[in-house]
Amino acid sequence: MSRSLVAIRGVSQRFGVDGATVTALDTIDLEIPDGQFVAVVGPSGCGKSTLLSLVAGLRLPTSGSVRCDGEPITGPMPRKVGMIFQEANLLPWLSAIDNVAFPLKLRRVAKPERLAAARRMLELTGLAGFESRLPHELSGGMKQRVSIARGLVQNPAVLLMDEPFASLDEQTRMVLGDELLRIWSETKKTVLFVTHSLNEAVYLADRVIVLSARPGRVVDDVAVDLPRPRGFAMTGSEQFAVLKDRIWQHIKSAERP
Amino acid sequence: MRRHERLIVAAAVLGLFALWEVLARLGRIDPTLAPAPTTIVGALARLAARPEVRASLAVTGWEVLAAFLIALPTGLFLGFLLAEVPVLGALVRPLVNFLFGVPKSIFLPVFILVFGVSIPQKIAFAVFTTVFVLILGGIAAVQSVPRELVLVSRVYGASRAQIVREIYLPAMAPILLESARLGMVFNITAVLLCEIYGARDGIGYRIAAWGENLQMPQLYAALVIVAAAAVAINEVLRAIETRLGAWRQRA
Repeated sequence: MSRSLVAIRGVSQRFGVDGATVTALDTIDLEIPDGQFVAVVGPSGCGKSTLLSLVAGLRLPTSGSVRCDGEPITGPMPRKVGMIFQEANLLPWLSAIDNVAFPLKLRRVAKPERLAAARRMLELTGLAGFESRLPHELSGGMKQRVSIARGLVQNPAVLLMDEPFASLDEQTRMVLGDELLRIWSETKKTVLFVTHSLNEAVYLADRVIVLSARPGRVVDDVAVDLPRPRGFAMTGSEQFAVLKDRIWQHIKSAERP
Repeated sequence: MRRHERLIVAAAVLGLFALWEVLARLGRIDPTLAPAPTTIVGALARLAARPEVRASLAVTGWEVLAAFLIALPTGLFLGFLLAEVPVLGALVRPLVNFLFGVPKSIFLPVFILVFGVSIPQKIAFAVFTTVFVLILGGIAAVQSVPRELVLVSRVYGASRAQIVREIYLPAMAPILLESARLGMVFNITAVLLCEIYGARDGIGYRIAAWGENLQMPQLYAALVIVAAAAVAINEVLRAIETRLGAWRQRA
């Protein structure tokens, strides 16, 4: 196994809610090697998104440490970590290309340079020709492609995806899943992908981390040894069903009141 | 509006004025109360040439401008403050909402007692009248900023100043301009009310005087001038608003 790019060690996260303390994550240990595609699943409210926001540097863990590329994460590290949300969250007053170039603008990269980089990313995500469109002129799937291009534009080592396809219809979701795998195989990013969909998790990932209901703990770490490139036919295979069932057993017991 | 719709509207307006002209000339409507449009146009040309009328228009213009330049930053700043400081907002917003609903004209005598019949009195009253809609506009503008875009910017390493410049300002621009436009309507109304109620100069003062002396052509000509100026200001602000808010159009 190659060196771990993201190292989550003994991480707990507690929140104060109405005077009471809620433990969202309980001593999570997770080593993610460079280039691995990791899906995180778990029952609602298990702290999946909290885990991502820790790696994004949007909050600090109550205890434990999160490192990226050996460096402790104390705040957002936009050059190392790109993030894609459930909603595309594009700036509605900027064209597609300016949205993709936005992280570079924040870093004061010169305009021709950042537009060139953004144009390459739009090509990579299959949006060549849509550079000057405003977000409201794009479909939901296209907006999410722009958002992925924006996440990749600084060439970060890690891509965090927080249920990125959850607001899309089934067909768009499947197409974008395959697109994501193509982009991933071309760019060799380390992906941390939170999802509610077991199909999506098994289909996309090398490895599925299963979290328990609150307080979130790692209850299973499933290696997905399906061959790559993945294809739709695999979703009907026995191997696929076995993996999905193993994960489902954890979730089912946790979701039961 | 499409081209033929514009033509229809233009024809309807022209038709109305033609009807008015004919009825006034035939004596079917009282020409003292509603003089023929051509008479008003004649009066308009004569008024525009009179230096004292021009001076009055300038006085009103300055009062409107001064009041607006005070009310705009004050109101928007107070609005931002109330939106961003929750404690202050909780305390003061009910008061602002209450005062917004009260007709400001009832306070005019108080302003005359405090400032006397003067230009500062007109400016102060106009600021008082205008500032509430701007405070509410400032609050609405801040609240219209999508929180998730602030979050995205933070993930991509934006500083506080960058969040203000790249997210807050463009997101708030359409509502700020809309508030400025509404504020201007309140502002012009307040200045004219002051002048009509009691003043030594200004176009409102002249309108009141012409009205009392039954000089109807002059009165209507002045109304045309004031209306044209107010509509022009409104349309300029609206054009900027539409331009900066093009992204707001839903697909």
